[in-house]
Amino acid sequence: MSALYLYSGWVRTWHWINALLFLVLIFSGASMHFNGAGWLLDFQSAILIHNTAGILLTIGWIGFIVGNLVSDNGRHYRVRLHGFVQRLMTQSIYYGYGIFKNAPHPFHPSAEAKLNTLQQVTYIGVMYVLMPLLILSGWAFLFSVYLPETLLGIGSVWVVAMLHLSIAYFLVLFLLIHLYIITTGETVMTNMRAMLTGWHRDDHQEPEA
Amino acid sequence: MGWILLFSGMAGTGTACAETDVGPSQASASQAAETPSAETPSAETRSAESRSSENRNCLRCHQMATLAYRNPENGEIVDLAIAPQALSHSVHGELACSDCHDSDFGQYPHPERLKGETLACVGCHEEHDDAAERVYRFKTIDEEFKHSIHVTSDAPEVAGFSCHSCHDPHAFRNSEIGEEIAQIVRQDNGICLSCHAEIQDPLRDPHTWLPKPEKHREAVRCLDCHTPLSEDGQAVSHRILAGKDSNRDCVKCHSKAPQLLNRLYQYRSETDLANKGWISKAVFNEAYVVGMSRSPLIDRSALAIIAITLLGLGAHGYGRYRAYRRSKENRT
Ligand code: HEM
Repeated sequence: MSALYLYSGWVRTWHWINALLFLVLIFSGASMHFNGAGWLLDFQSAILIHNTAGILLTIGWIGFIVGNLVSDNGRHYRVRLHGFVQRLMTQSIYYGYGIFKNAPHPFHPSAEAKLNTLQQVTYIGVMYVLMPLLILSGWAFLFSVYLPETLLGIGSVWVVAMLHLSIAYFLVLFLLIHLYIITTGETVMTNMRAMLTGWHRDDHQEPEA
Repeated sequence: MGWILLFSGMAGTGTACAETDVGPSQASASQAAETPSAETPSAETRSAESRSSENRNCLRCHQMATLAYRNPENGEIVDLAIAPQALSHSVHGELACSDCHDSDFGQYPHPERLKGETLACVGCHEEHDDAAERVYRFKTIDEEFKHSIHVTSDAPEVAGFSCHSCHDPHAFRNSEIGEEIAQIVRQDNGICLSCHAEIQDPLRDPHTWLPKPEKHREAVRCLDCHTPLSEDGQAVSHRILAGKDSNRDCVKCHSKAPQLLNRLYQYRSETDLANKGWISKAVFNEAYVVGMSRSPLIDRSALAIIAITLLGLGAHGYGRYRAYRRSKENRT
């Protein structure tokens, strides 16, 4: 049995605030988007909550990026190209096949690399591509007066709206998969406990994050 | 005589008309409008003092709220009163009366020959040096207005309809960014409602098909649905459409249609910003239009993908559970 301290205080703080804001944003965003459906927040509160949470999420995201720049958590977001495709394949085959055969985890987290390659590309895609686009399109909504009237011949506001909407859906999709994948650690709760306490414990011999 | 004195402080659009038949108080030499340089000293060259003393003279009588006479021909009351407050706050507030009206109106009793003369807004406004820079070109307004239902209809109520029917030249003021949206909408719609009384009557109101009609009336100008989208860069067309030709398509606002949507949205956004500064703008954003980001295609495909993913994850989880059971059995 070994234990590794993989999730430092600021990462955990950011992560849980971010997750909470995300749930709030999804609910309030859906309330605006599907306004009139009945089971949602009323429009005025939804706007207020969504925009406030969006601003906080922006601050949090900046915090995460800066944190990754100045702390050593950033190293987990630098892709090692050597054997990249191989590692990606191995991990995918594990999730698609090996996991049903009780095959051993192909990846063992360490202080140098706590994220497997599949996790790594997903988190990079989410945190460095989708989140900034989501945030930018959200702010563009609010300040659309400063945008040109049309973008590519289509009304700017609409372009912004569709971008924001599509990315939001993508991130909902990410969240669902994320929630599921974190249960695929050594035990169902291994990863969850790691993100709550910082400590990644593996009671058996094959740790995985 | 076809003019009606309307509420002061009207908002929303520019002033326009072709040859307009006006009541005696407004009648002036049309040549004054056509050749302003010859007859009327420009507002700038004239001292503010001489202007205001002239206006005081006229207003001595015309500010009396009850100043009016009965037109002997049709028995209609012709209102001659001008509210000085409204006048000084109007777009024409800087002008002397005789900048538009014949200066011979200075004589009292007013000379007979001046009565029944016409005033041409478009002529005068197009001659201004800044005509080309204006958001609203009066020539365009004139063109649009000619096709307006207020001109083309043969209903007796619209006989003699002119710019002044909606835009009181002694009170009209463009709405400005920074004004309360609700206030702009109220004033603007007030102009329409002052004639269209049927809209106030729940039994005759043609807008009952609209969901939440009250909300719409508070938040949107009549013009936003009852004018076509103009291609000429002017924010709102002066071609008022007949009810049956007006926009009934919710999606024109509550979704992507760029022009109709942007027209409303951008304006509201700008007002929000001007009123509140950007932080509270960000938090309270009043400009959101329900359904603006609604896209049935994206919604449906995204929800389908999400559903399929959930099924996939469920199946994956079930497979894992079975593997787990098997490994337990093997161990025991
Ligand atoms: C209620 C919702 C959520 C739960 C329960 C949850 C749970 C977890 C857990 C247990 C981990 C650690 C295991 C691992 O590394 O995979 C983790 C990591 C992570 N999660 Fe989440 N998460 C949630 C929402 C989100 C959201 C909304 C985002 C981003 C938009 C997000 C982004 C991340 C990232 C980037 C990491 C890796 C952080 C690092 O170590 O650098 N999570 N999450």
